[in-house]
Amino acid sequence: MAAVPGGLFAVYKPAGVAWGRVREAVETQLLRELNAAAAGRAPRQHVRFLPAPAGGDGGATGLVAAKVPVLADHPLVRGPRFRRLKIGAGHRLDVKASGVFVLGIGDGNKLLTDLYNCHLTKVYTVGGLFGKATDDFSDTGKLVEKTTFDHITREKLERILAVIQGTNHKALLMHSNIDMKTQEAYELAVKGLIRPMGKSPPIITAVRSLQFALPEFQLEIHCLHETQQYLRKIVHEIGLELKSSAVCTQVRRIRDGVFTLDDALPRTQWNLQSIRNAISDCQLKVKTELEKTLGYQDKSNLHKMDAEVAHTADS
Amino acid sequence: PAFRRGLAKEAGPRTVRQLREAEEAAPVFQYAGKAAKRKDRVFVWGFCYSGALGVPSFVKPDVGWKKPRRIQPTPYRLETEEKISSAACGYGFTLLSSNTTDIIKVWGMGLNKDSQLGFQRSIRDRTKGYEYVLEPSPIPLPLEKPQQTRVLQVSCGRAHSLILTDSEGVFTMGNNSYGQCGRKVVEDETYIESHLIHQLKEFDSRVVQVVCGQDHSLFRTKKGAVYACGWGADGQTGLGHYNITSVPTKLRGDIAGVNIIQVSSYGDCCLAVSDEGDVFGWGNSEYLQLASVTETTQVNVPRHLPFKIGKIKEAACGGTGNIVLTEEGNVFVWGYGILGKGPNLIETAVPEMIPPSLFGWSDFNPDIRVAHVRCGLSQFAALTNRGELFVWGKNLRGCLGTGRMEDQYFPWRVTVPGEVVDVACGVDHMVSMVKSF
Repeated sequence: MAAVPGGLFAVYKPAGVAWGRVREAVETQLLRELNAAAAGRAPRQHVRFLPAPAGGDGGATGLVAAKVPVLADHPLVRGPRFRRLKIGAGHRLDVKASGVFVLGIGDGNKLLTDLYNCHLTKVYTVGGLFGKATDDFSDTGKLVEKTTFDHITREKLERILAVIQGTNHKALLMHSNIDMKTQEAYELAVKGLIRPMGKSPPIITAVRSLQFALPEFQLEIHCLHETQQYLRKIVHEIGLELKSSAVCTQVRRIRDGVFTLDDALPRTQWNLQSIRNAISDCQLKVKTELEKTLGYQDKSNLHKMDAEVAHTADS
Repeated sequence: PAFRRGLAKEAGPRTVRQLREAEEAAPVFQYAGKAAKRKDRVFVWGFCYSGALGVPSFVKPDVGWKKPRRIQPTPYRLETEEKISSAACGYGFTLLSSNTTDIIKVWGMGLNKDSQLGFQRSIRDRTKGYEYVLEPSPIPLPLEKPQQTRVLQVSCGRAHSLILTDSEGVFTMGNNSYGQCGRKVVEDETYIESHLIHQLKEFDSRVVQVVCGQDHSLFRTKKGAVYACGWGADGQTGLGHYNITSVPTKLRGDIAGVNIIQVSSYGDCCLAVSDEGDVFGWGNSEYLQLASVTETTQVNVPRHLPFKIGKIKEAACGGTGNIVLTEEGNVFVWGYGILGKGPNLIETAVPEMIPPSLFGWSDFNPDIRVAHVRCGLSQFAALTNRGELFVWGKNLRGCLGTGRMEDQYFPWRVTVPGEVVDVACGVDHMVSMVKSF
């Protein structure tokens, strides 16, 4: 009756906590609730012939049939119904970052690999501060240098962001392993669908500045195959390019593939019922995305196989 | 009693207060002030052996063990003394000009076998000149008022060059076997080591643009008229005949009375844009450049090209393909060769639009527009309003600057460290003027 839910759902990881602890906290909470639900099951009963309560002086051993619960079903003998749950994590977030964190339960773990192979972009809100440079690019690190920043204008920042987008767009096309001389590559480039579908260095597909109030600024970054420390390094490099220095104050993932902030469960909702609802809400979205991306890839894999077969037949 | 060592300080992590005080006491460095200006730079790339890139160490390395570099596949910074305002690439040579009032206003490098860079006196033998100029060398112009006249624009053809000044007309130098320098053809003239620089002044009004085709020259005046001289066997002079013209003559045909705001040519085909957004073409049409109006392969009178693609702002002609830019910022190509719409589009007589998403336009960046278009012999270049340079076409000896040696079938970004302001395309090399960040 207390079935283990199976599927993908997203959780909001707060900053300052390791992703492993979040996964364990969710697992502990689910185990607690599942065991509580399973404990309500009544134990089996069976008929045992027990000696009657001795009345009088010993000797008269009469057996009385009694329905007693099976000892093997006693909770202290069996132990808790669920001891561990298979919860897998999607793209990880480091300690200082926060945001959407995808988890998979039970059968959903198989979908996690498929989602990883889709190579969908993630969106981050990155906050930065001009004037300081630290050794680990964040504001809690050891100070390396302080610089002036009053010469920075929004226009200069936008120019640097345009250059970053340009070079990353070029990297996107280069790492996607498509032969640039084919008509297929041209059509994909026009639609903007060229993406590296294998391993590649971190690539930023789009950057936009959201807020600019010296010394603080905020960027929205869409990226692939990145790490949060890479995003902090980008903030540091933006500071260097503007002839000043910058540190990253906040990294917050607001979208991971198809999961957005609205789908992410806050800590108050890390319980069985909300998770079940979240899984059923996201099921359709995930399925359509997987079919769209991997279905296309299967087709192109078939094309490649046909081409190889034809080539070997010719030679 | 507490044991104190007395000499060393106590160990332990620094308190938050100590860290904050150390941070506030740290010195502040200033790298750029509020009035920091952006610097102007010149980047070159392409085939090096002709010396057209202006870097002598590519052709004659400084160190004995280094080999000469045949091709520079990515943009390389060229150090210049003055701010370069106009550049032009010819067939194996380059001209750079600055609109300063100093004595030296024009520099040239590359091939000089027809004196297209003027007379470059050799240091070893004062009577002879250089055949190849490996670094930007000043070109002495016979100006009447050298400290007041400014050079507005330069243009280079196959073996001749034109220099436009603001008050002293047009100076021409180089090969004149077809009259492209605007002076009478002299039989058996030797063009090498020639000191002759011709000056052209008689036009109906001030000349505002000069364009060199392969062996002909076009002049556009302020009143909107176009003059031509030079070789005419493909009708590129547009004067109604297929002969050589050695005196700049006004063009008639469909552009008579029309105010032309831009002329363009590089091979044997020419295009002109009027102020109302119409485009006119004449010259070679073997590659379907003018096939929308005529079946003949040579057109010697300017013809209006009735394209329904919107008001045209800028046009550029290449050897076999043409490109125009409309007011909305769309780019149209037609002709023959690698046109920029994938390997399947080889030739078309009617202009085809290149999708703006290839220039970086997307829902995220909806206000990216192409600002300028330029053409080399078999390659195209487009500049966006964000200062990005896109190139496509045949990658002859690395002239595209992408870093690869393969041809490029759709627009590809060239990584230049700065905002590209202008680019000049040649046969196998390109020069760009860039503003640093």
